[in-house]
Amino acid sequence: MNNQDKLKLSHNIALIAGIFCAAVALLLLLNFWQITKTDPIESKALEALVERLKDDANNEELKEEIRNFDLLARKAYFNSQWQVETGAYMLLFGAIVLALALRLYYSAKSKIEEPEKVLENEIASRIIAQKGIIIVGAAVMVLALLASFLSVNQLKSYDASALVADNETPVEEAVEVINVAPAQTTSNEVSVEATADESASAENVTEETSTEVQVEETSSEPVAEKSAVETKPAAASSGITLAELQKNHNSFRGPLAQGVVMHKNIPTEWDGAAGTNVVWKAEVPKHGFNSPVIWGDKLFVSGADNTSREVYCYNRNDGKLMWTGVADNISGSPATPPRVTEDTGLAASTLTTDGNAVFAIFGTGDVIAFDMNGKRLWARNLGVPDNHYGHSSSLITLNGKLFIQYDTNRAGKVMALDNKSGETVWETQRDAKISWASPVLAEVDGKYQLVLTADPIVAGYDVGTGEELWSVECMMGEVGASVGYADGIVVAANEYARMVAIDIRTQEILWEDDFYLPEAASILAHEGLVFVATSYGVFVCYDLKEGELLWEDDFGSPVYSSPVLADGKVYLMDNEGVMRIYEFSRELKKVGENVLGELSGPTPAFADGRLYIRGEKDLFCIGK
Amino acid sequence: MRNQLNQNSHKLQATSHKQSRFFGFKSKSVLFTFAFILFTFAFNLLSLNLSAQKQRFPKPEFETGYEQPSPVTPEPRALAMEYFDVLILILVLAAATYFALKSRSRQGILWLSIFTLVYFGFYRNGCICSIGAIQNVTLTFFDPAYAISLTALLFFIIPLVVTLFFGRTFCAGACPLGAIQDLVVVKPISLPKWLNKTLGLIPYLYLSLAVLFAATGTDFIICRYDPFVGIFRMDAKFLMIVLGIAFLLMGMFVARPYCRFLCPYGVLLSWMSRFSSRHLTITPSKCIQCKLCTHSCPFDAIDFPTNEKEVVKSGLGPKRFITYALVIPLWIALGVFVGAKSHTFLSKANQDVYLAELLIAHPELRNDPDNIDVQTFLASGKPMEQLVSEATAIREKFYIGSMIAGGFMGLVIGMTLLNTVVFRKRQDYEPHKGNCFSCARCVDYCPVEK
Repeated sequence: MNNQDKLKLSHNIALIAGIFCAAVALLLLLNFWQITKTDPIESKALEALVERLKDDANNEELKEEIRNFDLLARKAYFNSQWQVETGAYMLLFGAIVLALALRLYYSAKSKIEEPEKVLENEIASRIIAQKGIIIVGAAVMVLALLASFLSVNQLKSYDASALVADNETPVEEAVEVINVAPAQTTSNEVSVEATADESASAENVTEETSTEVQVEETSSEPVAEKSAVETKPAAASSGITLAELQKNHNSFRGPLAQGVVMHKNIPTEWDGAAGTNVVWKAEVPKHGFNSPVIWGDKLFVSGADNTSREVYCYNRNDGKLMWTGVADNISGSPATPPRVTEDTGLAASTLTTDGNAVFAIFGTGDVIAFDMNGKRLWARNLGVPDNHYGHSSSLITLNGKLFIQYDTNRAGKVMALDNKSGETVWETQRDAKISWASPVLAEVDGKYQLVLTADPIVAGYDVGTGEELWSVECMMGEVGASVGYADGIVVAANEYARMVAIDIRTQEILWEDDFYLPEAASILAHEGLVFVATSYGVFVCYDLKEGELLWEDDFGSPVYSSPVLADGKVYLMDNEGVMRIYEFSRELKKVGENVLGELSGPTPAFADGRLYIRGEKDLFCIGK
Repeated sequence: MRNQLNQNSHKLQATSHKQSRFFGFKSKSVLFTFAFILFTFAFNLLSLNLSAQKQRFPKPEFETGYEQPSPVTPEPRALAMEYFDVLILILVLAAATYFALKSRSRQGILWLSIFTLVYFGFYRNGCICSIGAIQNVTLTFFDPAYAISLTALLFFIIPLVVTLFFGRTFCAGACPLGAIQDLVVVKPISLPKWLNKTLGLIPYLYLSLAVLFAATGTDFIICRYDPFVGIFRMDAKFLMIVLGIAFLLMGMFVARPYCRFLCPYGVLLSWMSRFSSRHLTITPSKCIQCKLCTHSCPFDAIDFPTNEKEVVKSGLGPKRFITYALVIPLWIALGVFVGAKSHTFLSKANQDVYLAELLIAHPELRNDPDNIDVQTFLASGKPMEQLVSEATAIREKFYIGSMIAGGFMGLVIGMTLLNTVVFRKRQDYEPHKGNCFSCARCVDYCPVEK
């Protein structure tokens, strides 16, 4: 093969390879454009079909159509990807052939040339190089400076806004604490300020400012009278005092989740089936074992099934459903809800509200906040809880923080989220196994603690920082009953384990007992008495200080609902919908026994003259 | 022309001694023995590798025959295989050095670079490479929680050590990025010296940014913007493929554009190579000033004899040298100032800083379920205060780092300027020790025999 042949051959090969490369490159570009248009996840047609399915959830034909369309879209997408990959290899092959052919072509074409006599003038070149270096160097510097002047340091602005917020909040709180108690006397006001000052100076935590409020009292019953004149610190937060909390029923088992409510004139007789003393009855769209919570005229419950999770707001005066908030489109929320048992469900945790927003948590780990008119404020997923029954610990709020017990099979933790933003304010890892009990707020020397019980510890946490203040290793098993708290004594118990009374200040175990133990019903402690309801239907009263068994009522039907003290009486609902009412007394004195007409389980909520019970399907307002 | 000259020079030095060599080896048996040992060792290690990669829990099997793709590219490699890579690197470096310095065989280096391209490029998917190892080494110094692998450290150090003694033979035959560019050189054009010098600033800038981003734990930009790794892996994003192909197309006429005007590792190699005692020479003996090699280097890395008369006449003498030397501190000060000023801008490349600023500037994005960055952060449960404080700490690091990087760039500009007025007495045509890739192209042009 002579040089001419080489030249011709390499020229032709290069030409063919060039055309081939150009064609493949063009096809690749087209394919790339096609892929960007046909992302199966972004498919508008599929979205439209899914939207249609939402309206017609049981349309099997539509489901099949969606599956087929989805498969087709994916096939097309992966086919295009395969084409791109294959095309890329073909292009690479073509490019190699082209490069080799060109090398051969140019080597065959080149001729012997004499070395250049005059080479590049090095001196002139160096002088230009100097200019070039200075220009490029200066250009780099100028560009960097330009970029620096055009960029804003946003982090600084965050610091400023955070500082302002930090400075403002306590002032607001302090002012509102004083203003919100109009019924207080002058002497009370003085004590408020004094206590507030003390607390602020001693603890430097103004959000836990304590005050004393006097609840107006008209009742003639001795025990109720006693409870009415008691003094308690205010839960100062965003303008909420304990007095205001006590006017409402903002969490599971009422204010502070202690099972003690201050409302009066609570009915003691009704018949749900016959409609006796039933003010209204409303069906709840989706099932849930959570208990109603109340703020003002609004009552909140939640419901869930595998398709969706919802929050319902009812007008508590007439039972009208005011709005429904759907907990959807939450990042991190599982596409398929975790498997939970039927007697727990996905909406077992009771909601809470601070009067500005209502908060809900579901078995999926979704936490969501709506304002009082149903506008979604924030939502986040805490990670799907590894819980073999389903997450059931209820929410509670104080000082602008939302407290969540999140003990799962993976790890135990308790956390506080910011009510306004949902951001984590603190998070504390707990040396505890999974538990289902709800947090209880306990006031100790003017400061609040969050008290939790689980296997193996009963522990108190600082509400402001999440610091574990104390813990006592005394519990075991699958703990579902929340603690009772009164007079500086925490009472914790669990079935097949034991009941212990712990001095919250010294962590001394005052007494313990293992005869009557609750499975799900939380413990009620108040004014020297402790009430425990076993799952097999025995309601028992103990002495708080000594642990002495005072009385027991063996009615024999299962109880998951928690006893609540209201209007001097203890209300206990059993799973069959029968509510037994006992006098708050050291002797057994049954006041009444009323039938709801449907199964129940949640704990009732109270308002003046009214009792709100969630049955299996319906929500009942009992009153005269 | 070069190939014609090549043929010509071959004719000039056609001796039976040279014909009997293959890749510079004296006999074929040596090659076969070497290949046999190599492949036996490779086979043994490969079987070891397979057993090491056994899954603790087997992956689910699909009836359709679907195979699950690996989530990591390239897949994690057994430690023994990593050491095998180091061994290959050492062998390739030894071979490249042998071909460049001892046997002076361009053909040997060409085939070696093809092997490198296939092994380190397409088979090892361009990872690990010495260029990227700069970042691993940097991160080791600045992040106590980061432990560099011995392989990465060796990949970083070995080529530098070899270069310190023998010049940039790593670039000639052991770097896959160099190899892919070298193979597509078709009709290289000679760039004027001033352009070479000016563009030569870019690698220093790239190196300083790469070190800055690695030291602050922001990003490995050398790997992220490697134009050829996408070609090696066949999985790059569209724009990176376009960039890679653009570099290759450009490389047909401007030889090795990445190596000359971007490669940050090239900066370090260039420094080392300047001190190399046994660098490749164009002529095996004494230069006869035939000028045949003047255009043999596609990388413009041959220095010509100094014309002393011209130098004296030019006025680029001691006066300008002193001026430029005195200006260096000013360049450094300017660089430090610019670095300090631009640290805010540069730190925005950090993911934490970016996220914190995004959430501060646009708090409404918290409610955007489609913003994956924001939603992932929110789901993590990390408090905003923590994110902001971490971002602020990173920005502080950038403040210091940017000043150092700026000062370094100022020094580089000052020194490069100073270099333009420094003339070394040169009688012959010699490869520029810093810029020469030791590809041995020029060797074939020299008619002189030992």
